[in-house]
Amino acid sequence: MNHYELTLILNPDLASKFDPYKEHFESILSQLGFNIHYCENVGIRELAYTIGINKKGHYLIYQLDGDPANINELETKIKYDNSVIRHLVLKTDTVTESDSFLTQDTKEAKKRAEERAHEAKLKAQVQQHPKPTPSAIKEDENSSEEKKDESPKGEEESSTIEENSEKTESENEEQS
Amino acid sequence: MKKLTLPENFDYKNIDILKQFITETGKIIPARVSGITAPEQRKLTKAVKIARFLALIPYTDKQI
Repeated sequence: MNHYELTLILNPDLASKFDPYKEHFESILSQLGFNIHYCENVGIRELAYTIGINKKGHYLIYQLDGDPANINELETKIKYDNSVIRHLVLKTDTVTESDSFLTQDTKEAKKRAEERAHEAKLKAQVQQHPKPTPSAIKEDENSSEEKKDESPKGEEESSTIEENSEKTESENEEQS
Repeated sequence: MKKLTLPENFDYKNIDILKQFITETGKIIPARVSGITAPEQRKLTKAVKIARFLALIPYTDKQI
């Protein structure tokens, strides 16, 4: 008996068929005498590079216990399974029964994507229902206001400079 | 380059750690640059190569 870690990258198009597929795969594992300690369902992640035509993959990580003689048979079964786009079996010393960093990372990435989609939706809504006349008028007002704002500031600055120059002149006179 | 430290327990799934030890183009940073020990570098290399195979980190930046 050895400990194994089996990582599968499944076709992301399985979607609704995922749960029945998982049950089917686990029945194969038990048929071959593998004891499932833990199953980490990482979820759909973006791949670092395309595998075939796939840009995304559904990651599944199994912690198994089993006979080394059955590993080859398991690998051939996975090899001829069209829903698995990549797999890896690793021999491990210990069995970890908790989610890894990958699951957490995938969840965070999903959240970020949802937020971005939400923002894009809001933007699209604004663009779909534009109020051309009032907004245009508002913009004009704003621009004119800005110009107005700018002009007095400039005057103030120039006046302060003048004051300063006067002061320096007076100071110079005093010094002399 | 700032000296990097490698935590004791890590594997190919800790891609946040692995990403600190690869360049922008996906190459593994040499131990003499990162400052980690030789046994650590051997562990790191294995983990990076497994993570590459599982498409968690890229082999190069030219891949789409």
